[in-house]
Amino acid sequence: MITVLVVDDAAFMRLAIKNVLEKNGFKVVADAKNGQEGIEKYIEYHPDIVTMDITMPDMTGIEALKKIREYDKNAKVVMISAMGQERMVKEAILNGAKSFIVKPYKEEHITQTLLKIAADK
Amino acid sequence: MAEHYGDSLLEMFLFETSQNTEQLERIILDTEKAGKFSEEAINEIFRIMHTIKGSAAMMSFSNISTVAHKAEDLFYFIRENPSVEYDCSNITDIILSCMDYINSEMEKIKNNEEADIEGGEALIQRVERCLHEISGGKGVSRNKNTGTESKSAEKAADGEKVSKDEKSEKHSYQLTVFFEEGCGMENIRAFSIVRDMEDFADHIRFQPEDIVENNDTVFEIRKNGFKIFFDSAKTYQDIIEIFEKTPFVGSINLIETAKAERNQTQKGAKPEVKNGQKNGNKADKNDEHQSVQSLISVNVSKLDKLMDMVGELVIAESMVVENPDLSGLELPNFQREAQQLHKIINEMQDLVMSLRLVPLASTFQKTHRIVRDMTKKLGKEAEIRIIGEETEVDKNIIEHLSDPLLHLVRNCIDHGIESEEERIAAGKPPVGTITIEAYNAGSNVYVVVRDDGRGIDKNKVLEKAKRQNLLKKPESEMTDKEIYNLIFLPGFSTNETVSEYSGRGVGMDVVLKNILAIGGSLTVESEEGKGMAVIMKIPLTVAIIEGMGILVGNRRFTIPISAMKESFKPDPKDIFTDIYGNEMIMLRGECYAIMRLHKQWGIETEVTNLSDGILILVEQDDKRRCIFADKLIGEHQVVVKTLPELIKRIKTVEGLSGCTLLGDGSISLIIDAGWLVNTDIK
Repeated sequence: MITVLVVDDAAFMRLAIKNVLEKNGFKVVADAKNGQEGIEKYIEYHPDIVTMDITMPDMTGIEALKKIREYDKNAKVVMISAMGQERMVKEAILNGAKSFIVKPYKEEHITQTLLKIAADK
Repeated sequence: MAEHYGDSLLEMFLFETSQNTEQLERIILDTEKAGKFSEEAINEIFRIMHTIKGSAAMMSFSNISTVAHKAEDLFYFIRENPSVEYDCSNITDIILSCMDYINSEMEKIKNNEEADIEGGEALIQRVERCLHEISGGKGVSRNKNTGTESKSAEKAADGEKVSKDEKSEKHSYQLTVFFEEGCGMENIRAFSIVRDMEDFADHIRFQPEDIVENNDTVFEIRKNGFKIFFDSAKTYQDIIEIFEKTPFVGSINLIETAKAERNQTQKGAKPEVKNGQKNGNKADKNDEHQSVQSLISVNVSKLDKLMDMVGELVIAESMVVENPDLSGLELPNFQREAQQLHKIINEMQDLVMSLRLVPLASTFQKTHRIVRDMTKKLGKEAEIRIIGEETEVDKNIIEHLSDPLLHLVRNCIDHGIESEEERIAAGKPPVGTITIEAYNAGSNVYVVVRDDGRGIDKNKVLEKAKRQNLLKKPESEMTDKEIYNLIFLPGFSTNETVSEYSGRGVGMDVVLKNILAIGGSLTVESEEGKGMAVIMKIPLTVAIIEGMGILVGNRRFTIPISAMKESFKPDPKDIFTDIYGNEMIMLRGECYAIMRLHKQWGIETEVTNLSDGILILVEQDDKRRCIFADKLIGEHQVVVKTLPELIKRIKTVEGLSGCTLLGDGSISLIIDAGWLVNTDIK
C-alpha cells in the first residue's frame, strides 16, 4: 500500500485529500499543518509520497520541499497549488517536486498522479 | 470542367475518409474499454483501412495510402492468426496515430499544404515494428502468413536489426503532448516535462517557446498540444513508456523523424517547417468536426420517408381545410390561418424536395471517358463540351438518366461524328464536338445531347424502318419528327455493321424507355450534314406532381396536369364516327381520336353518352388525344407512390404509373400520360 503524508495548513484540505486517498486505497500515515511539522513527520514516517500545499504560513511549501529533499534526495513530493501560482510551481519543480496538482482538482487527478509517481522508481 | 469534377471527387474522398476515421475512432475506443479486439472489430478496422488505402491510392495520396496499407497488414495478421498475443493498448495507440496522421494529412490537402512524408514513414516503421513484435515470437504463425504479410514481417525483421545497430546512435523525434483536460497550468507542466527530458535527450526545442514567461501559452497547448523536437539515444518504445508514466499526460503523438546524424546538416531549417506543418492532432480533429458538420450523409431511405411524410401532411392539410363539416360556414379566421398553414407546408415541401436534388456533374463527367475510349478505337476525333453541369435533379432521376445519356453519347460518336477526312471534305473542323447541356425550365430539366456530325439521314431511316416493318402509316404522310422518332423503336438500328459500342439494336429504345420511366419525354432535332440533337425533358422530381382528379364509374384516377391541354363538354355535332367505328371529335379545325376510359378498362358506369361526361385533351410527345371520363374532381398535388408489386403483376392492368392518396383518404390511380396517347383504342 502506498503511504502518503499530507501537508496543508487548512484542516479542510487535509481532510479532503485524506478522504480521497483512503477511499482509493492509499494509506495516509500522517498529516501536518505547516512546513516544519511536515519535515518532522517525514523523518518520522518515511512515506512514499508527500502532498505539499505550496502556500503555507511560516514556512512555505517550497522551503519544506527543499528541506525534505536535503534529508532524502529521493523523496517524492507532489505540490498542491492554486491557479495563478505558476511562478512558485516552477520554482518547486526546479527544486525537485515530482509533479503538481492544481486546485480545484478532480479526485482522479490526485489518485492518478500519485499512482504514477509511486510507480516511478 | 475537369477541375470541377476533380474537386467534387476530392470532396467526396475527404468527406468519406473523415467519416471512416471517425468510425474507426469509435470502434477503437470501444475496444480499448473491452481490452481486446473482437473479431468483428478487427474485420471492421481491416475494412476501413482497406477502404482508405484504396481511395487514397486513387487520389494519388500515396503517403496516406501506404500508412493505411501498413495498418491493414497489421490487422490482416491479427485476423489470420486469432491466437496471437498482442498488447491491445499498444496497437490501439498505433492505430490512433495512423488515424491522426491521416486526419492531419487530409487537413493539409484541404489547405493545399505539403504532405508530411517523413511522418508517414516513421509511422510505417512503427507499424512494421509492432507487426514484427507480435509475429516475431511465434514461428508457427508467421509460417501461416501469405504474400504481403511475410514480406512486411521480413522488412520488420530488417528494421529490428537496424535498430539494434543503432542502439548507440541517436534518433530524432518529434513529440506532441496533450495534457489531460482540466489539469491546469499546462505551461508549467510542459516546463516540467522539458526539465525531466534533459536526463535522456538533447537538442531539445519546443513550441510554444515562452511557456514559463507567458501563462497564456496554456491555451495554445490545450488546443494544439505541446510540441517538442529532440534527439535521444532512447528507443521509440522507451520514450512512449516514459510519457505513459508522466502524470497528467493525456495523449502523445511521437514521430521518429530521422537518425540524428542525417538530420544534423539540415537542422537549422527543419524545426520551423515542421512547426508550421504538423498541427496538434486533437485540435485538427476538432477543427475537422466543425467543418464536416456542415455536411452529413443521410440515408436516402430516410429522405424518401421524409418525403412520404410531407406528402401525408399535404393530404392531411387538405383533409382538414376541405372538411365537409366546414362547408357552408363563414370562417374568415380559420381561412386566414389555413392559408398560413398552406404556405408553410408548401415551403416545407420545396425544402424536402431540394434535399434530394443532386447536381448532374458526376453523371455528365462519366461521358469524358467514353468519348476518350471510343474516339481512340474508332479513329475519330471528338471533344465533349459540358454546359450547366451544376443543374440539379432528384436523386432517383439521376440514376435513370445515366444510362440514356451515355448511350446517346456513344451513338453520337458512332453514328453522328464523321471521320476526320469526311469532316474536312465537308468543310467542318476536323475535330467533332459533342455538347451536353442541362438547364432548368419550370418544373422540368432539359438535358440536350447535340453533335455536329452528319445528322439523321431520313431516307436511310425510312428504308430501314420499312424493311423492319416498323412503319404504321404511309411514308409520304410522315413528318420529319415522326421519322426521327423511328430510331427509338425497339429493334431499329441504322448501322449496317454492329460495332462494339452501339448499334447492337438495343439501345435507343432503351433510352426512350428509361426517360419515359421517369415521366420524361424526348424529342429529336436534326439537320442533314449539320448534326443532330436529342432533347430530353425530365421532371425535376417524380415524387410529387400536379394532378387532375377524374372519375370513371366509381373509380378515381389522376392525370398529370403537365399532360393536360384542356377539358370541355363536347358538342354532339362535333363528334363523328369513321368507317371503322372509331369516335373522333373536331376541335377548332383539328380532329382528335376519342378514348373512352370506361371502355378501355372495362369499368361500369352510367355515363356513356359523350355529352354527359367530359372530354380531356391530353398531349404527350407531340401526340394528342381526347380522353373521355365521367367528370373532373379537381386539381391537387399528389404524392406519387409506386404501385404495390401485387397489382403490378396483374398484366391486364395497364396505363398506370403509380397511385396516390387523396384528401378524403381515398386512393387514386395515376394514369401514365405516355400510355394515354400511345395505346390502341378499344
